[in-house]
Amino acid sequence: MNAIQDALRDLHHRSGIKGAVVVTLDGLVAAESLDDRYPGDVVGGLASFLLMTLNRSLKEGGLGGCDQFLLHATHGKVILKALDDAYLVCLFDQFADVATVRQEVREVAQRIRMSSRIGADG
Amino acid sequence: MHLIQRMKIWKELKRLEIRVREEPSPTTFVDLGQVYINLESYDKALRVAEDGLALFPKATEMKKLLDCARRGLSKQRATELKARLIRSPNPKLFREVAELQMDLGDVAALHQTCQEWSLRFPDDPGAWLLLGQARLLGFYRDLAAREGREAVRCLDRAVEMDGNEVQARRLLGEVLYRVGAVNQSIEHLQTLQGLRHDDGDLLQLLEYVSGLDDKGSDVEQLFNEVEERGSLAHPPVTTAAVTSAEVGVSSIRETLGHIADIPGVRKATYIKGSRALVKGEIKDGRDPFLRIVRVMAKAAYRFGRRLDIGNACKNVADGDFGHICVCVYGEVLAGVQCDEGTDIDLVLGELQEIVAGSLSPVGGVNS
Repeated sequence: MNAIQDALRDLHHRSGIKGAVVVTLDGLVAAESLDDRYPGDVVGGLASFLLMTLNRSLKEGGLGGCDQFLLHATHGKVILKALDDAYLVCLFDQFADVATVRQEVREVAQRIRMSSRIGADG
Repeated sequence: MHLIQRMKIWKELKRLEIRVREEPSPTTFVDLGQVYINLESYDKALRVAEDGLALFPKATEMKKLLDCARRGLSKQRATELKARLIRSPNPKLFREVAELQMDLGDVAALHQTCQEWSLRFPDDPGAWLLLGQARLLGFYRDLAAREGREAVRCLDRAVEMDGNEVQARRLLGEVLYRVGAVNQSIEHLQTLQGLRHDDGDLLQLLEYVSGLDDKGSDVEQLFNEVEERGSLAHPPVTTAAVTSAEVGVSSIRETLGHIADIPGVRKATYIKGSRALVKGEIKDGRDPFLRIVRVMAKAAYRFGRRLDIGNACKNVADGDFGHICVCVYGEVLAGVQCDEGTDIDLVLGELQEIVAGSLSPVGGVNS
Protein backbone atom coordinates (compact mmCIF):
# COMPACT_ATOMS: atom_id res chain seq x y z
CA MET A 1 0.00 0.00 0.00
CA ASN A 2 2.93 2.31 0.74
CA ALA A 3 4.15 1.95 -2.82
CA ILE A 4 0.78 3.18 -4.15
CA GLN A 5 0.77 6.04 -1.65
CA ASP A 6 4.32 6.97 -2.69
CA ALA A 7 3.34 6.91 -6.35
CA LEU A 8 0.40 9.22 -5.66
CA ARG A 9 2.53 11.55 -3.58
CA ASP A 10 5.14 11.75 -6.36
CA LEU A 11 2.42 12.59 -8.85
CA HIS A 12 0.93 15.21 -6.52
CA HIS A 13 4.30 16.97 -6.20
CA ARG A 14 4.50 17.60 -9.93
CA SER A 15 3.68 20.99 -11.34
CA GLY A 16 -0.02 21.81 -11.86
CA ILE A 17 -1.29 18.64 -10.17
CA LYS A 18 -3.77 19.16 -7.36
CA GLY A 19 -3.93 15.61 -6.23
CA ALA A 20 -4.51 11.99 -7.05
CA VAL A 21 -6.68 9.22 -5.68
CA VAL A 22 -7.02 5.50 -6.27
CA VAL A 23 -10.68 4.68 -6.06
CA THR A 24 -12.62 1.46 -6.54
CA LEU A 25 -15.68 1.45 -8.78
CA ASP A 26 -18.00 1.49 -5.79
CA GLY A 27 -16.41 4.69 -4.51
CA LEU A 28 -14.04 3.33 -1.88
CA VAL A 29 -10.83 5.36 -1.64
CA ALA A 30 -7.86 2.99 -1.55
CA ALA A 31 -5.17 5.69 -1.39
CA GLU A 32 -5.04 9.45 -1.76
CA SER A 33 -2.78 12.44 -1.92
CA LEU A 34 -4.84 15.59 -2.43
CA ASP A 35 -4.81 19.32 -1.77
CA ASP A 36 -6.78 20.17 1.39
CA ARG A 37 -9.71 21.63 -0.56
CA TYR A 38 -10.58 18.24 -2.08
CA PRO A 39 -11.89 15.68 0.44
CA GLY A 40 -10.90 12.18 -0.68
CA ASP A 41 -14.32 10.64 -0.04
CA VAL A 42 -16.02 13.33 -2.15
CA VAL A 43 -13.62 12.79 -5.04
CA GLY A 44 -14.08 9.03 -4.67
CA GLY A 45 -17.88 9.24 -4.61
CA LEU A 46 -18.05 11.58 -7.61
CA ALA A 47 -15.56 9.53 -9.60
CA SER A 48 -17.53 6.39 -8.84
CA PHE A 49 -20.77 8.04 -10.00
CA LEU A 50 -19.16 9.32 -13.18
CA LEU A 51 -17.50 6.01 -14.08
CA MET A 52 -20.42 3.76 -13.20
CA THR A 53 -22.82 5.94 -15.16
CA LEU A 54 -20.51 6.20 -18.14
CA ASN A 55 -19.52 2.51 -18.17
CA ARG A 56 -23.14 1.40 -17.90
CA SER A 57 -24.09 3.62 -20.80
CA LEU A 58 -21.13 2.44 -22.91
CA LYS A 59 -21.91 -1.22 -22.19
CA GLU A 60 -25.57 -0.74 -23.05
CA GLY A 61 -24.43 0.75 -26.33
CA GLY A 62 -22.27 -2.33 -26.96
CA LEU A 63 -18.97 -0.45 -26.66
CA GLY A 64 -17.39 -2.00 -23.54
CA GLY A 65 -15.82 -0.14 -20.64
CA CYS A 66 -13.88 3.10 -20.46
CA ASP A 67 -10.08 2.83 -20.09
CA GLN A 68 -9.49 6.51 -19.60
CA PHE A 69 -11.65 9.59 -19.20
CA LEU A 70 -10.40 13.13 -19.60
CA LEU A 71 -12.54 15.99 -18.40
CA HIS A 72 -11.80 19.67 -19.16
CA ALA A 73 -13.71 22.04 -16.88
CA THR A 74 -13.53 25.81 -16.56
CA HIS A 75 -11.21 25.74 -13.54
CA GLY A 76 -9.47 22.42 -13.83
CA LYS A 77 -8.96 19.13 -15.58
CA VAL A 78 -9.32 15.56 -14.43
CA ILE A 79 -8.02 12.25 -15.76
CA LEU A 80 -9.54 8.97 -14.65
CA LYS A 81 -7.33 6.05 -15.67
CA ALA A 82 -8.46 2.43 -15.37
CA LEU A 83 -6.44 0.07 -13.13
CA ASP A 84 -8.58 -3.01 -13.82
CA ASP A 85 -10.74 -3.14 -10.66
CA ALA A 86 -10.04 0.45 -9.67
CA TYR A 87 -9.30 3.84 -11.21
CA LEU A 88 -6.56 6.37 -10.72
CA VAL A 89 -8.13 9.83 -10.53
CA CYS A 90 -5.80 12.75 -11.08
CA LEU A 91 -6.90 16.38 -10.64
CA PHE A 92 -4.87 19.15 -12.24
CA ASP A 93 -5.28 22.83 -12.92
CA GLN A 94 -6.66 24.32 -16.12
CA PHE A 95 -3.21 25.49 -17.29
CA ALA A 96 -1.53 22.08 -17.15
CA ASP A 97 -0.44 20.58 -20.44
CA VAL A 98 -2.72 17.65 -21.16
CA ALA A 99 -0.15 15.64 -23.12
CA THR A 100 2.43 15.90 -20.32
CA VAL A 101 -0.07 15.02 -17.61
CA ARG A 102 -1.40 12.10 -19.66
CA GLN A 103 2.13 10.72 -19.86
CA GLU A 104 2.75 11.22 -16.13
CA VAL A 105 -0.56 9.57 -15.26
CA ARG A 106 0.24 6.65 -17.56
CA GLU A 107 3.60 6.13 -15.83
CA VAL A 108 2.10 6.30 -12.34
CA ALA A 109 -0.73 3.95 -13.34
CA GLN A 110 1.91 1.52 -14.53
CA ARG A 111 3.77 1.82 -11.21
CA ILE A 112 0.57 1.23 -9.26
CA ARG A 113 -0.35 -1.81 -11.35
CA MET A 114 3.08 -3.28 -10.77
CA SER A 115 2.99 -2.76 -7.03
CA SER A 116 -0.63 -3.40 -6.25
CA ARG A 117 -2.82 -6.38 -5.73
CA ILE A 118 -5.73 -4.39 -7.20
CA GLY A 119 -4.64 -4.63 -10.81
CA ALA A 120 -3.08 -7.29 -12.95
CA ASP A 121 0.53 -7.08 -14.11
CA GLY A 122 0.89 -4.14 -16.45
CA MET B 1 -39.28 15.76 14.43
CA HIS B 2 -37.95 13.19 16.89
CA LEU B 3 -34.35 12.14 16.74
CA ILE B 4 -35.34 8.54 15.95
CA GLN B 5 -37.59 9.67 13.10
CA ARG B 6 -34.78 11.82 11.75
CA MET B 7 -32.38 8.91 11.91
CA LYS B 8 -34.87 6.66 10.10
CA ILE B 9 -35.31 9.19 7.33
CA TRP B 10 -31.57 9.73 7.08
CA LYS B 11 -31.06 5.97 6.79
CA GLU B 12 -33.76 5.71 4.14
CA LEU B 13 -32.21 8.58 2.19
CA LYS B 14 -28.81 6.94 2.30
CA ARG B 15 -30.32 3.69 1.06
CA LEU B 16 -32.10 5.44 -1.79
CA GLU B 17 -29.00 7.45 -2.75
CA ILE B 18 -27.05 4.18 -3.04
CA ARG B 19 -29.87 2.57 -5.05
CA VAL B 20 -29.93 5.50 -7.44
CA ARG B 21 -26.21 5.11 -8.01
CA GLU B 22 -26.17 1.35 -8.30
CA GLU B 23 -29.49 0.69 -10.05
CA PRO B 24 -30.45 3.92 -11.76
CA SER B 25 -34.01 3.82 -13.12
CA PRO B 26 -36.83 6.37 -13.27
CA THR B 27 -38.46 4.67 -10.26
CA THR B 28 -35.38 4.85 -8.03
CA PHE B 29 -34.87 8.53 -8.90
CA VAL B 30 -38.54 9.31 -8.26
CA ASP B 31 -38.48 7.46 -4.90
CA LEU B 32 -35.49 9.48 -3.77
CA GLY B 33 -36.91 12.77 -5.11
CA GLN B 34 -40.22 12.09 -3.37
CA VAL B 35 -38.51 11.70 0.01
CA TYR B 36 -36.76 15.04 -0.50
CA ILE B 37 -40.06 16.65 -1.51
CA ASN B 38 -41.74 15.26 1.61
CA LEU B 39 -38.93 16.80 3.64
CA GLU B 40 -39.43 20.07 1.71
CA SER B 41 -35.82 19.87 0.49
CA TYR B 42 -36.87 21.00 -2.95
CA ASP B 43 -33.36 21.96 -4.04
CA LYS B 44 -32.20 18.40 -3.47
CA ALA B 45 -35.30 17.01 -5.19
CA LEU B 46 -34.50 19.28 -8.13
CA ARG B 47 -30.94 17.95 -8.27
CA VAL B 48 -32.23 14.37 -8.24
CA ALA B 49 -34.75 15.15 -10.99
CA GLU B 50 -32.09 16.82 -13.16
CA ASP B 51 -29.70 13.89 -12.73
CA GLY B 52 -32.51 11.45 -13.50
CA LEU B 53 -33.56 13.36 -16.59
CA ALA B 54 -30.00 13.28 -17.87
CA LEU B 55 -30.12 9.49 -17.80
CA PHE B 56 -33.77 9.07 -18.76
CA PRO B 57 -34.66 12.12 -20.84
CA LYS B 58 -37.95 10.65 -22.03
CA ALA B 59 -39.28 9.46 -18.66
CA THR B 60 -42.48 11.39 -17.94
CA GLU B 61 -42.28 10.68 -14.22
CA MET B 62 -38.88 12.42 -14.13
CA LYS B 63 -40.41 15.47 -15.81
CA LYS B 64 -43.20 15.46 -13.24
CA LEU B 65 -40.66 15.22 -10.43
CA LEU B 66 -38.71 18.14 -11.92
CA ASP B 67 -41.88 20.20 -12.23
CA CYS B 68 -42.92 19.35 -8.68
CA ALA B 69 -39.48 20.28 -7.31
CA ARG B 70 -39.46 23.57 -9.24
CA ARG B 71 -42.92 24.45 -8.02
CA GLY B 72 -41.92 23.63 -4.47
CA LEU B 73 -38.86 25.87 -4.75
CA SER B 74 -40.97 28.70 -6.20
CA LYS B 75 -43.53 28.35 -3.40
CA GLN B 76 -40.77 28.40 -0.80
CA ARG B 77 -39.28 31.50 -2.40
CA ALA B 78 -42.68 33.20 -2.60
CA THR B 79 -43.31 32.52 1.10
CA GLU B 80 -39.91 33.99 2.01
CA LEU B 81 -40.52 37.06 -0.12
CA LYS B 82 -44.00 37.58 1.32
CA ALA B 83 -42.53 37.55 4.81
CA ARG B 84 -40.02 40.18 3.68
CA LEU B 85 -42.83 42.20 2.09
CA ILE B 86 -44.59 42.47 5.44
CA ARG B 87 -41.44 43.86 7.03
CA SER B 88 -40.39 46.22 4.25
CA PRO B 89 -42.76 46.52 1.28
CA ASN B 90 -41.29 47.84 -1.97
CA PRO B 91 -42.30 47.57 -5.66
CA LYS B 92 -39.38 45.29 -6.54
CA LEU B 93 -40.41 42.71 -3.94
CA PHE B 94 -44.06 42.96 -5.02
CA ARG B 95 -42.99 42.28 -8.61
CA GLU B 96 -40.90 39.25 -7.61
CA VAL B 97 -43.75 37.75 -5.59
CA ALA B 98 -46.30 38.43 -8.35
CA GLU B 99 -44.03 36.87 -11.00
CA LEU B 100 -43.57 33.75 -8.88
CA GLN B 101 -47.32 33.50 -8.35
CA MET B 102 -47.88 33.88 -12.09
CA ASP B 103 -45.38 31.07 -12.78
CA LEU B 104 -47.19 28.91 -10.25
CA GLY B 105 -50.52 29.70 -11.91
CA ASP B 106 -51.90 30.94 -8.58
CA VAL B 107 -54.20 33.59 -10.05
CA ALA B 108 -56.08 34.35 -6.82
CA ALA B 109 -52.86 35.03 -4.91
CA LEU B 110 -51.54 37.09 -7.83
CA HIS B 111 -54.65 39.29 -7.76
CA GLN B 112 -54.30 39.78 -4.04
CA THR B 113 -50.63 40.72 -4.36
CA CYS B 114 -51.30 43.16 -7.22
CA GLN B 115 -54.20 44.73 -5.33
CA GLU B 116 -52.00 45.36 -2.32
CA TRP B 117 -49.15 46.54 -4.58
CA SER B 118 -51.32 49.14 -6.34
CA LEU B 119 -52.76 50.32 -3.01
CA ARG B 120 -49.36 50.82 -1.42
CA PHE B 121 -47.66 52.19 -4.53
CA PRO B 122 -50.45 53.78 -6.59
CA ASP B 123 -48.01 55.45 -9.01
CA ASP B 124 -46.26 52.19 -9.94
CA PRO B 125 -47.64 50.68 -13.18
CA GLY B 126 -46.04 47.30 -12.39
CA ALA B 127 -49.13 45.82 -10.70
CA TRP B 128 -51.26 46.56 -13.78
CA LEU B 129 -48.63 45.15 -16.10
CA LEU B 130 -48.45 41.88 -14.14
CA LEU B 131 -52.25 41.61 -13.99
CA GLY B 132 -52.39 42.25 -17.74
CA GLN B 133 -49.79 39.56 -18.37
CA ALA B 134 -51.72 37.04 -16.26
CA ARG B 135 -54.94 37.86 -18.14
CA LEU B 136 -53.15 37.57 -21.48
CA LEU B 137 -51.92 34.09 -20.56
CA GLY B 138 -55.53 33.13 -19.88
CA PHE B 139 -56.69 34.68 -23.14
CA TYR B 140 -54.10 32.96 -25.32
CA ARG B 141 -54.81 29.65 -23.55
CA ASP B 142 -58.64 29.67 -23.77
CA LEU B 143 -59.34 32.46 -26.29
CA ALA B 144 -61.86 33.76 -23.75
CA ALA B 145 -63.05 37.27 -24.72
CA ARG B 146 -63.41 38.35 -21.09
CA GLU B 147 -59.77 37.57 -20.32
CA GLY B 148 -58.66 39.44 -23.44
CA ARG B 149 -60.69 42.53 -22.62
CA GLU B 150 -59.39 42.54 -19.04
CA ALA B 151 -55.82 42.13 -20.32
CA VAL B 152 -56.19 45.16 -22.59
CA ARG B 153 -57.79 47.19 -19.76
CA CYS B 154 -54.92 46.40 -17.37
CA LEU B 155 -52.20 47.03 -19.97
CA ASP B 156 -53.89 50.30 -21.05
CA ARG B 157 -53.88 51.39 -17.43
CA ALA B 158 -50.14 50.62 -17.14
CA VAL B 159 -49.43 52.63 -20.31
CA GLU B 160 -51.57 55.55 -19.07
CA MET B 161 -49.61 55.63 -15.81
CA ASP B 162 -46.27 55.51 -17.60
CA GLY B 163 -46.13 56.32 -21.29
CA ASN B 164 -42.64 54.82 -21.45
CA GLU B 165 -43.76 51.41 -20.14
CA VAL B 166 -42.19 49.36 -22.93
CA GLN B 167 -43.37 45.88 -22.01
CA ALA B 168 -47.03 46.85 -21.60
CA ARG B 169 -46.98 48.61 -24.97
CA ARG B 170 -45.38 45.66 -26.69
CA LEU B 171 -47.92 43.22 -25.21
CA LEU B 172 -50.75 45.55 -26.23
CA GLY B 173 -49.35 45.91 -29.73
CA GLU B 174 -49.13 42.12 -30.05
CA VAL B 175 -52.57 41.19 -28.73
CA LEU B 176 -54.30 43.92 -30.73
CA TYR B 177 -53.00 42.79 -34.10
CA ARG B 178 -53.64 39.13 -33.24
CA VAL B 179 -57.36 39.90 -32.73
CA GLY B 180 -57.49 42.14 -35.83
CA ALA B 181 -57.17 45.69 -34.42
CA VAL B 182 -54.20 46.28 -36.68
CA ASN B 183 -54.34 50.10 -36.78
CA GLN B 184 -54.45 50.37 -32.99
CA SER B 185 -51.61 47.89 -32.76
CA ILE B 186 -49.50 49.96 -35.19
CA GLU B 187 -50.01 53.07 -33.02
CA HIS B 188 -48.57 51.27 -30.00
CA LEU B 189 -45.72 49.72 -31.97
CA GLN B 190 -44.79 53.08 -33.51
CA THR B 191 -44.72 54.72 -30.07
CA LEU B 192 -42.58 51.82 -28.92
CA GLN B 193 -40.24 52.34 -31.85
CA GLY B 194 -39.78 55.94 -30.73
CA LEU B 195 -38.64 54.59 -27.37
CA ARG B 196 -36.43 51.84 -28.74
CA HIS B 197 -34.78 52.94 -31.98
CA ASP B 198 -32.34 50.08 -32.34
CA ASP B 199 -34.70 47.17 -31.67
CA GLY B 200 -34.46 44.98 -34.80
CA ASP B 201 -37.19 42.56 -33.66
CA LEU B 202 -39.57 45.45 -33.12
CA LEU B 203 -38.88 46.83 -36.59
CA GLN B 204 -39.53 43.40 -38.07
CA LEU B 205 -42.78 43.11 -36.11
CA LEU B 206 -43.89 46.56 -37.23
CA GLU B 207 -43.23 45.71 -40.88
CA TYR B 208 -45.15 42.49 -40.51
CA VAL B 209 -48.15 44.12 -38.79
CA SER B 210 -48.24 46.96 -41.36
CA GLY B 211 -48.94 44.35 -44.03
CA LEU B 212 -51.98 42.87 -42.26
CA ASP B 213 -55.69 43.68 -42.82
CA ASP B 214 -57.38 45.81 -40.19
CA LYS B 215 -60.60 44.15 -38.98
CA GLY B 216 -61.97 47.19 -37.13
CA SER B 217 -61.47 49.33 -34.07
CA ASP B 218 -64.09 47.88 -31.74
CA VAL B 219 -61.75 45.80 -29.61
CA GLU B 220 -64.54 44.33 -27.49
CA GLN B 221 -66.32 43.09 -30.60
CA LEU B 222 -63.08 41.69 -32.03
CA PHE B 223 -62.44 39.70 -28.83
CA ASN B 224 -66.00 38.31 -29.00
CA GLU B 225 -65.44 37.26 -32.62
CA VAL B 226 -62.21 35.48 -31.66
CA GLU B 227 -64.05 33.61 -28.91
CA GLU B 228 -66.90 32.61 -31.25
CA ARG B 229 -64.56 31.59 -34.05
CA GLY B 230 -62.13 29.80 -31.73
CA SER B 231 -59.10 31.22 -33.55
CA LEU B 232 -57.13 34.44 -33.71
CA ALA B 233 -57.43 36.82 -36.66
CA HIS B 234 -53.73 36.91 -37.55
CA PRO B 235 -50.87 34.47 -36.93
CA PRO B 236 -47.75 35.52 -34.99
CA VAL B 237 -44.68 36.78 -36.79
CA THR B 238 -42.76 33.55 -37.38
CA THR B 239 -41.66 33.55 -41.01
CA ALA B 240 -38.43 35.39 -40.39
CA ALA B 241 -37.60 33.23 -37.37
CA VAL B 242 -38.16 30.06 -39.40
CA THR B 243 -35.87 31.32 -42.16
CA SER B 244 -33.14 32.12 -39.66
CA ALA B 245 -33.53 28.68 -38.04
CA GLU B 246 -33.26 27.01 -41.42
CA VAL B 247 -30.06 28.91 -42.19
CA GLY B 248 -28.69 27.93 -38.74
CA VAL B 249 -29.54 24.25 -39.23
CA SER B 250 -28.02 24.06 -42.69
CA SER B 251 -24.83 25.70 -41.44
CA ILE B 252 -24.61 23.27 -38.47
CA ARG B 253 -25.31 20.32 -40.76
CA GLU B 254 -22.52 21.47 -43.06
CA THR B 255 -20.03 21.83 -40.18
CA LEU B 256 -21.07 18.43 -38.82
CA GLY B 257 -20.47 16.91 -42.24
CA HIS B 258 -17.03 18.50 -42.24
CA ILE B 259 -16.29 16.92 -38.83
CA ALA B 260 -17.54 13.53 -40.04
CA ASP B 261 -15.05 13.79 -42.92
CA ILE B 262 -12.03 14.03 -40.59
CA PRO B 263 -10.04 10.76 -41.04
CA GLY B 264 -10.94 8.27 -38.30
CA VAL B 265 -14.28 9.83 -37.35
CA ARG B 266 -17.12 7.28 -37.44
CA LYS B 267 -20.09 9.05 -35.90
CA ALA B 268 -20.82 12.70 -35.29
CA THR B 269 -23.81 14.32 -33.67
CA TYR B 270 -25.07 17.71 -32.65
CA ILE B 271 -27.72 17.70 -29.92
CA LYS B 272 -29.90 20.55 -28.70
CA GLY B 273 -32.58 19.58 -26.19
CA SER B 274 -34.44 16.54 -27.50
CA ARG B 275 -33.36 17.07 -31.10
CA ALA B 276 -30.25 15.79 -32.79
CA LEU B 277 -28.49 16.12 -36.12
CA VAL B 278 -26.36 13.11 -37.04
CA LYS B 279 -23.65 12.27 -39.59
CA GLY B 280 -21.58 9.16 -40.25
CA GLU B 281 -22.47 5.60 -39.26
CA ILE B 282 -25.62 6.53 -37.36
CA LYS B 283 -28.84 4.97 -38.58
CA ASP B 284 -31.38 7.13 -36.78
CA GLY B 285 -32.23 8.98 -33.60
CA ARG B 286 -32.38 5.70 -31.62
CA ASP B 287 -28.65 5.01 -32.04
CA PRO B 288 -27.19 4.33 -28.54
CA PHE B 289 -24.33 6.69 -29.34
CA LEU B 290 -26.68 9.66 -28.85
CA ARG B 291 -27.58 8.47 -25.36
CA ILE B 292 -23.91 7.89 -24.53
CA VAL B 293 -23.09 11.46 -25.54
CA ARG B 294 -25.92 12.82 -23.39
CA VAL B 295 -25.02 10.68 -20.36
CA MET B 296 -21.32 11.51 -20.67
CA ALA B 297 -22.00 15.26 -20.84
CA LYS B 298 -24.41 15.23 -17.92
CA ALA B 299 -22.29 13.01 -15.67
CA ALA B 300 -19.19 15.13 -16.38
CA TYR B 301 -21.18 18.32 -15.76
CA ARG B 302 -22.29 17.03 -12.38
CA PHE B 303 -18.77 15.89 -11.51
CA GLY B 304 -17.28 19.28 -12.39
CA ARG B 305 -19.89 21.30 -10.53
CA ARG B 306 -19.76 19.17 -7.38
CA LEU B 307 -16.00 19.23 -7.32
CA ASP B 308 -16.15 23.00 -7.73
CA ILE B 309 -13.95 23.08 -10.83
CA GLY B 310 -16.62 24.68 -13.02
CA ASN B 311 -18.51 23.44 -16.05
CA ALA B 312 -17.14 20.41 -17.87
CA CYS B 313 -16.91 21.74 -21.43
CA LYS B 314 -14.77 19.09 -23.17
CA ASN B 315 -14.67 15.38 -22.37
CA VAL B 316 -12.89 12.44 -23.96
CA ALA B 317 -13.50 8.78 -23.14
CA ASP B 318 -11.02 6.20 -24.43
CA GLY B 319 -11.55 2.45 -24.71
CA ASP B 320 -11.57 -0.49 -27.10
CA PHE B 321 -14.12 1.50 -29.10
CA GLY B 322 -11.56 4.21 -29.84
CA HIS B 323 -12.41 7.68 -28.52
CA ILE B 324 -15.66 9.43 -27.74
CA CYS B 325 -15.26 13.20 -27.63
CA VAL B 326 -18.02 15.49 -26.35
CA CYS B 327 -18.14 19.28 -26.22
CA VAL B 328 -20.83 21.14 -24.28
CA TYR B 329 -22.02 24.72 -24.39
CA GLY B 330 -25.14 25.40 -22.33
CA GLU B 331 -27.85 23.05 -23.59
CA VAL B 332 -25.98 22.28 -26.80
CA LEU B 333 -23.80 19.17 -27.13
CA ALA B 334 -21.67 17.90 -29.96
CA GLY B 335 -20.08 14.47 -29.91
CA VAL B 336 -17.89 12.27 -32.05
CA GLN B 337 -16.85 8.63 -31.97
CA CYS B 338 -13.54 8.06 -33.69
CA ASP B 339 -10.86 5.43 -34.10
CA GLU B 340 -7.59 5.29 -32.21
CA GLY B 341 -4.99 7.46 -33.87
CA THR B 342 -7.48 10.18 -34.88
CA ASP B 343 -6.32 13.75 -34.32
CA ILE B 344 -8.27 14.34 -31.09
CA ASP B 345 -7.20 17.98 -30.76
CA LEU B 346 -8.54 18.72 -34.23
CA VAL B 347 -11.82 16.95 -33.46
CA LEU B 348 -12.23 18.77 -30.14
CA GLY B 349 -11.46 22.09 -31.79
CA GLU B 350 -14.13 21.51 -34.44
CA LEU B 351 -16.67 20.34 -31.87
CA GLN B 352 -15.98 23.40 -29.77
CA GLU B 353 -16.55 25.63 -32.79
CA ILE B 354 -19.88 24.03 -33.60
CA VAL B 355 -21.29 24.30 -30.07
CA ALA B 356 -20.00 27.79 -29.41
CA GLY B 357 -21.27 29.11 -32.71
CA SER B 358 -24.76 27.66 -32.50
CA LEU B 359 -27.19 29.98 -30.87
CA SER B 360 -30.00 29.71 -33.41
CA PRO B 361 -32.92 27.30 -32.97
CA VAL B 362 -32.58 23.86 -34.45
CA GLY B 363 -34.81 21.47 -36.29
CA GLY B 364 -33.66 17.90 -36.79
CA VAL B 365 -34.46 14.29 -36.21
CA ASN B 366 -36.18 13.53 -32.94
CA SER B 367 -33.95 11.31 -30.92
